[in-house]
Amino acid sequence: MEDFRNKFKEEANDLINALENSVLRLESAPHDEDLINEVFRIMHSLKGGGAMFGFVKISEFTHNLENIYDEIRNGKKQTNIELVNATFESVDHLRNLLRDEIDASIEQKHIELSKRIEKLVTDNTENQSFDEYQDMILNGDNGAKAVPKAGYYIYFKPNADIFDNGTNPLFLIDDIRALGNTKIFTHLEKIPTFGKFDFSVSYTYWEILLETKESVLEINDIFMFVEDECTLEIKKIGDWDLVSNEKYIEAITKKYSSDKFDYQELKSLAHTIFKPKETEKHQEKKVSEKIQKFAQESEITSIRIATEKIDQYMNLVSELVTAQAALKMYAMKTKETELLAISETIENVTEQIRDNALSISLIPVENTVTRFRRLVRDLSVGVKKDIEFITEGTDTRIDKTLLQIITDPLMHIIRNSIDHGIELPSERVKAGKPEQGKIILRAYYSGSNVHIDVEDDGKGVDIEKVQKKAIERGLIANDVHLTKEDALKIIFMPGFSTAERVTDISGRGVGMDVLKRKIADVRGDIEIKSEKGQGTRITLKLPLTLSIIDGLLVTIGPSLFVVPLTSVSRIKELKIKDITSKYQNILVMDGEQIPFYFLRDELQIGGEYPEEVKFIIVKYENTRVGIIFDTVIGEYQAVLKPLGKLYRKHDIITGASILGDGSVALVLDTNKIIKKFSSKEIV
Amino acid sequence: MAQNENTQNTYLTFRLGTEIFAASIDKAVSIIEVPEIIKVPRSPSYMKGIINVRGTVMPVIDARMKFGMKPIEIKKRTVIVTFRVDIEGENVDVGALVDEPGAVIQIKKEQIMNRPDIGSKYKSELIVGAFTHNEQFIMLVDIDKVFTLDELTEINDSKEEHSLEEHIEAESHK
Repeated sequence: MEDFRNKFKEEANDLINALENSVLRLESAPHDEDLINEVFRIMHSLKGGGAMFGFVKISEFTHNLENIYDEIRNGKKQTNIELVNATFESVDHLRNLLRDEIDASIEQKHIELSKRIEKLVTDNTENQSFDEYQDMILNGDNGAKAVPKAGYYIYFKPNADIFDNGTNPLFLIDDIRALGNTKIFTHLEKIPTFGKFDFSVSYTYWEILLETKESVLEINDIFMFVEDECTLEIKKIGDWDLVSNEKYIEAITKKYSSDKFDYQELKSLAHTIFKPKETEKHQEKKVSEKIQKFAQESEITSIRIATEKIDQYMNLVSELVTAQAALKMYAMKTKETELLAISETIENVTEQIRDNALSISLIPVENTVTRFRRLVRDLSVGVKKDIEFITEGTDTRIDKTLLQIITDPLMHIIRNSIDHGIELPSERVKAGKPEQGKIILRAYYSGSNVHIDVEDDGKGVDIEKVQKKAIERGLIANDVHLTKEDALKIIFMPGFSTAERVTDISGRGVGMDVLKRKIADVRGDIEIKSEKGQGTRITLKLPLTLSIIDGLLVTIGPSLFVVPLTSVSRIKELKIKDITSKYQNILVMDGEQIPFYFLRDELQIGGEYPEEVKFIIVKYENTRVGIIFDTVIGEYQAVLKPLGKLYRKHDIITGASILGDGSVALVLDTNKIIKKFSSKEIV
Repeated sequence: MAQNENTQNTYLTFRLGTEIFAASIDKAVSIIEVPEIIKVPRSPSYMKGIINVRGTVMPVIDARMKFGMKPIEIKKRTVIVTFRVDIEGENVDVGALVDEPGAVIQIKKEQIMNRPDIGSKYKSELIVGAFTHNEQFIMLVDIDKVFTLDELTEINDSKEEHSLEEHIEAESHK
């Protein structure tokens, strides 16, 4: 059961995220039927699942919301701001309810929100009847078109003494209006001139055309208590939307007389306007539309797969790639054309399978963007700024783990933009910009990388401020004058933060240096471009996946190693005797002192370096370190395989990679090597 | 498997040096030829390295060293038995180098004797019982324990035991 509960939690989290996304969009498009339907469906799923797996509170909570959205989608209610707000809060609350422990504050929130929503259930009904009333007066139409309706003719003439027992005929008219669309003809002709007017006598009578899905009985019920005090006729004209049809209304209005309509005439008029054939067709179409809609709703467009299975699939695929490479080599050796052709076909298919497998293990950036939309909405209100959050290319896919890792840094960047980037509306107007600021999140592919831009049209980086701060913090000497490029680089240095005061949003001591490190940890890079007064653009350059590394294949003795290409800054060929003679393992290159170390000795590989060695300079943050290898084989795209629990203490080795010929190379974590080396505690 | 068969368990046997050991068949995944073993630098000597098993990377240990015997020499009959073991609640595939694979045998529970008194010759905590099958004395090992992380971190290679093993090895190959 616990297993199922966890499954439900996982699923519920996805649902809640989807809900948040839909409500956000609903806010700007309150009448979008698809969105309303989606919200309803999510509520429905949450309710059902919650009840099934013992999340009673979730089930109870979503019940009322589900009802509200059900009514909205049936056209009985409309979305309003209070509802959207309540739904937003519900999103947060639902997340809390998913937790195993529910504390008092959540309990309190539960009661409060439930009450608010309950109120919405009733409140909105009143609003809605008002809306419907207006609709009727304005165009005699409403949205509930999907239900089969019939047209009725109602003749209602109260007796003169109807007021005597306290009946107000207008209430009855209102009741009829509540049943559906109406066209009301009020006969005031019998009202006498002022002098002869008797307040206790009813002079007015009504003729009403009603279009409703209710039966005659329902209509009759309205008049239940006044049956003896009036003349009443309720007749069905036909199964048509009479009132919605302007032609019909126009035609009968012409027939309006001071007495009453001829029922037969109403009926024949209806027959000529609504040809039965058309009606049938119309209804058929409606039915087929409905079926189609239902099919759409129940269509399964995605399935959930355990990540474990995807990993397994990826393993099998890389095995296939290896086998295919072996086959190709063999085929080329035999030079048999038939075999070569088969091998080529397999190569083709294998490539496609590999790409497909890769795409399965990636998820769209959109998954995390929803949170940012919410963040911008909430925070911009808090700092009294008007900010539009625009996203582009959020269907760009990236490794799931990677996406999780970069969510925090991205959030931080966006917070910075809201807090420091975008100016207050008044300042913006002064600077000749529109009041509303813009933050654009843009994701796109660039080679085998994914780039994510966060761009704002705010005030940009103030170089002079940076310069001042850098001197204050002792990062640069007093007399150094920073160029724009240098200033932007300094922002990423540890101990630098331009925020003048600590605000709620940013300036919590987490600076850009931390972001840079976090991104570097996943073999990514961060770039900043800024123009004073025009805005800032921060670009995260990320690998598509953590499981594939663009690396440099190198050797030491018989061992193969992969060095991540992102950390390689230079490769130099040197004579080993020139290196060993260096004092304290430091080499001066282009005026820079570069410490280096002999990986062969550190890893106890044994043997001796050849005469000519490869000196590879790797970088991490601002540190550069040289590592000495025997040879460089070339660039290589490595599929990273973890070494598993037994080797977890090996932190300088990220994992292993199987080469095309089946041999195995160890993937080095150069960042860790540098860290260890620079702190003098190598391995 | 039916309940009444519970009294009979299935084991895979293998040879280490001159001794025969058995492990529960449920834990064994496959028996493979010894491929190229890539040594992972700076790991304990009984951790032979990693191998490529159908596209996955699998660590391999020297089972003889694990039992306190002399390191294995890879010969014609040497194989790797791959096991799926439980390490800290997680299923991990690992390989063990053994001198020779044996057979799959069924043993009744009552045939299994308590842990034999074998003195300090083998790491007795890895052995959970023993039985005689076809007049062959077989020791039953707890394969999870063999691969437990704590076990792997401590290396205990006493020189005397090695020489004893060397002696036996020399004898058996004459």
